[in-house]
Amino acid sequence: MRTPRYALVAVAALLSVAAPAGAQDAAHDEEHFDAVHHTVDGPYLDFTPFGKVELPRLFVVRGDDGLRFDAFASTSAAVASGRYHAVAHEAGEEASHAPDAAGARDAHAPEAAGAEHSADGHAPAEQSVGDADHAPAEEHAGADAHATDPLSSTLEPADGDVLIDLSITRHVVFLFGSMALLLLLLVPMGSRYRRGVGRTSAPRGLLQNMLETIVLYIRDEVAKPNLGPDYRRYLPYLLTAFFFILTANLLGLVPFGATATSNIAVTAVLAVFTFVITQLAGTRDYWMHIFSPPGVPAFVKPILIPIEILGLFTKPFALAIRLFANMTAGHLVILNFIGLIFIIRGLFGDAAGWGTAVPAVAMSVFIYALELLVAFIQAYVFTVLSALFIGMASASHEHDHNHSHEHDPTPHDRAVSESAPLLSRGEARPDRERTVGTEAAISPF
Amino acid sequence: MGPESLGYLGAGLGAGLVALGAGLGIGRLAASALEGAARQPEASGDLRTTMIIAAALIEGVALFGLVICILLALA
Repeated sequence: MRTPRYALVAVAALLSVAAPAGAQDAAHDEEHFDAVHHTVDGPYLDFTPFGKVELPRLFVVRGDDGLRFDAFASTSAAVASGRYHAVAHEAGEEASHAPDAAGARDAHAPEAAGAEHSADGHAPAEQSVGDADHAPAEEHAGADAHATDPLSSTLEPADGDVLIDLSITRHVVFLFGSMALLLLLLVPMGSRYRRGVGRTSAPRGLLQNMLETIVLYIRDEVAKPNLGPDYRRYLPYLLTAFFFILTANLLGLVPFGATATSNIAVTAVLAVFTFVITQLAGTRDYWMHIFSPPGVPAFVKPILIPIEILGLFTKPFALAIRLFANMTAGHLVILNFIGLIFIIRGLFGDAAGWGTAVPAVAMSVFIYALELLVAFIQAYVFTVLSALFIGMASASHEHDHNHSHEHDPTPHDRAVSESAPLLSRGEARPDRERTVGTEAAISPF
Repeated sequence: MGPESLGYLGAGLGAGLVALGAGLGIGRLAASALEGAARQPEASGDLRTTMIIAAALIEGVALFGLVICILLALA
C-alpha cells in the first residue's frame, strides 16, 4: 500500500506551497503579488490564510531629552499610542495612520483600509520597495493602503530619531527558534555522551545515531584534514556553525516558516565570527605572509600587501553573501513561480490562470526539493570554508618551503587516518607518524 | 526608455548572463568530476566532495551578480 502514501505526501506538498499563495489572492488586489515583500524580514509572523501575529517593537530613541527606550507589544499598539507613525518606504512622505485602522488585525486587506484612506484624501499612489509586479494601480485606495500599511513601512517617532531598532521581527523569532531547537536536541545528546552512552557502549536511538554520523563526518572530513592535529580547538565552533545554519535553513522550508539565514545581517554576523576566529588563530607565519609575502621582489610588495589585506576581508564577505543569496534566491524563485499563475490570470483570464497552475506548482515543488538540498550544501560549504580559513591561518608546518615530503592528503593517507584507533581525550595524533598501512611497512623508521 | 526601464532591462539581462556563466562553469566542473570518477571509481567520494565545494564557490560568485541584479530591479 505504498502508492497511496506517496500520493498523500505529494498532495500535501503541493497544498503547502499553493495554499498560502492562494490565500494571498483573497487578501490582495489582483496585481498585488509582492514576492520580495514575502521573503524579506517583517515585524509580524505571517500565517496568511489565518491572520498575522504582530511582534513586539522595541526602539532606542534619541529624543529631545536624551536616550529613551520604547517598547510596544505590537506595531498596532505603537501606532495607536500616537507616539509613532508609519512612514511609506519610497518617498519620504509622511502619512499619519488613521487611528481606527490600528485596531484592524489584518492590516493587509486593502478593501478594509482603502475606504478609510480614501476618506483621508491622501497623496498619490506610491510604490513600496519590492513591488516589481505592481501594475499601475487604477485604484489609489489599494496602493495607498499598501503604502501606509504600518506592517510594511517604517515607524518613526513623533519626537526624535530611532537610534537602534531592536524590534522583534520574523527572522529574530526564527533565530531564537533555531537556537532553542538546537539546545533542546543537542544538549541532552551531549550529556548522554558524557555519561558514556555513545563512547563505552553503542549509541542508542535515532537522534543520537543521526547526530553521531553528522558530527563524525564533520570531524573526519572537515576538521581534521583542514585543521591538522589542533582540530579539537576549533571543532566546537565548526559544529555549532554547521548545525545552526542547517537548522535555520530547514526552518525556512516548513510552511509558514521564515529563513533566518536569508537575512544579510545574520549571515554577516556568522561570517564575522569566522573572521574573528581566523585572525585569533593566526600564527606569526600567517601574518608574515600577509604583510611581507615571501619570495617576491621588494618593489612588488607595496602592490601585493594591499591585495593581501583586501583578500583578508573578501573571504568572510563572500561567506556571508553566498549563504544569504542562496537562501533568498530559493524562496524568491518559488514565490515567482506561484506569482506567475496570477500574472497569467491577470493577462489572459481565469482559464489561462488555472492552466498555468499545475506546471507552476510542479516547478515549485521541484525547486522546493532543490532548496532542501541547497540548505544542507550551504551549511556544509560554510563549515568547510571556515575550517579551510582557520586551517590556513593556524598552519604551523605548511610554509616550510624546504620540506621534502609535504603533500596534500592522498586517499591513501585518508584511509590510514580513518583506520587508526580512537584517541583518548587530550591526545593529538602526530601528523607524520604512520603506524599502520603500507607507508609504515616500507619506511625504514 | 527612461532610467527605470533601463535599470529593469539591465537587471533582466544581468540575471540571464549570471545563469549562463554559472551553468557553463558548473557544467565543466561536473564534466571533469564525472570523467575522473569514471576513470577511478574508488576516488569518487573525494571527487564528489571537491565538486560540491567548487560548485558552491562558483555559485557564490553567480549569486553576487544576482544580488546586484536584484538591487538594480528594486532601486
